[in-house]
Amino acid sequence: MRRLGELEAEIMDRLWAWQRPTTVREIVDDINEHRPVAYTTVMTVASILYNKGWLLRAKEGRAWVYSPVRSREEYTAALMEDALGTSEDRSAALTHFVEQMGPEEVSALRKALRAAGRRTRA
Amino acid sequence: MTAALALGCYAAAVGVVAPKALVRSAWPYRAPAVAVAVWQGLVLSFTIALALTTYHLVTPTWHLHNGMSGLLRFCGLTFDAPIPGTGPLGVPAVAVPASVALLPLARFGHELLRARRVRARHRGVLDMVGRHSARLRATVLDHDTPAAYCLPGRRPRIVVSAGALRLLSPAQLESVLEHERAHIAGRHHLALAATEAFARVFRWLPLAREARAQTALLLEMAADDRALRRHPRQALASALYTMAAGHAPGGGTGHAHGGALTASGPGAVVRLRRMLDARRRPHPALCGVVVTVAAGLPLLPPLLGCAPGMG
Repeated sequence: MRRLGELEAEIMDRLWAWQRPTTVREIVDDINEHRPVAYTTVMTVASILYNKGWLLRAKEGRAWVYSPVRSREEYTAALMEDALGTSEDRSAALTHFVEQMGPEEVSALRKALRAAGRRTRA
Repeated sequence: MTAALALGCYAAAVGVVAPKALVRSAWPYRAPAVAVAVWQGLVLSFTIALALTTYHLVTPTWHLHNGMSGLLRFCGLTFDAPIPGTGPLGVPAVAVPASVALLPLARFGHELLRARRVRARHRGVLDMVGRHSARLRATVLDHDTPAAYCLPGRRPRIVVSAGALRLLSPAQLESVLEHERAHIAGRHHLALAATEAFARVFRWLPLAREARAQTALLLEMAADDRALRRHPRQALASALYTMAAGHAPGGGTGHAHGGALTASGPGAVVRLRRMLDARRRPHPALCGVVVTVAAGLPLLPPLLGCAPGMG
């Protein structure tokens, strides 16, 4: 299972980097520069990614060309929104280091930090 | 009726008076893990008291002499013992209090599953777009907003954003990561799910509201304490400030995150003062006593309910 996740990430990495519709052949050739991988394996995983909603595909000649549904930045932004609680479904599923804060609270923090600094120096 | 009255008064005291007293007292922030145990004990005790109150209300007075055996049966202790007086009244006498007790429990299970689903979805995307750093033992997200968080559970992840890596010094970063590891190692998500479930069932109850808010804050403090065992105060405190200032619109990096930032409770300020204040923790023996009391709290309602029945 772990292997599958890794190959999924490898495929997505390339499609995000290239930013153009890509055939399975191109992906296989690129991965083969580092390690051997079978064409059919990549083809299978690409269609898994398509079924999971990560990739779009279109017929070009006789081959499928794949492209990401959303950019890496969009996914990252969605994750951050999830984690920082700015999205609507705020859940205790993710605990983050420090809450969102307004300018007043930040200045209160700064004062507390400065006061402690004076105390330790004195 | 005496038992129902006594239990009802107890439930009211635990549900309304105790949380207010606990919020006002100073010791919980000095021993956050102990205080979390007390909140959980109060929550459990209230649920049991309420269940037993309804039990005594639906059981007519002349059944009170069966209070003890009925109670034991309710607790499943004497399962095959003959229960005197089990007529048609036996069904509501068990079903009503059982449903009062099972409702929060079912909600707890629901919260656990819901949170696990949210985390699994998040982790799936994270593993795809994040970059695992073996050195940090964390996943790095390529995003400017400084952030650090964890996904607890069976396949835990600690996540830091590129913005946090840029802002924090190595010492600060290590203390923040240690804080997140403490959440995972301490299984803090279970306590959070319990108070969340309780708050959703009893939304009108002061105990429910306070237990949820206080547990969240106390668990942050417990994680802070664990980070401070290995890392200097100054590192964690300045990291907290740097991250908070980095979040704020116009502060730090000047990066406003979607403009959707809202002010939170005073949690961070309280935590920062606490980190810098080198006040001693309460004596371990005292903590032990308080934890014992917390563990004993759920036993109080059955005792209260039995006392009149035995007399």
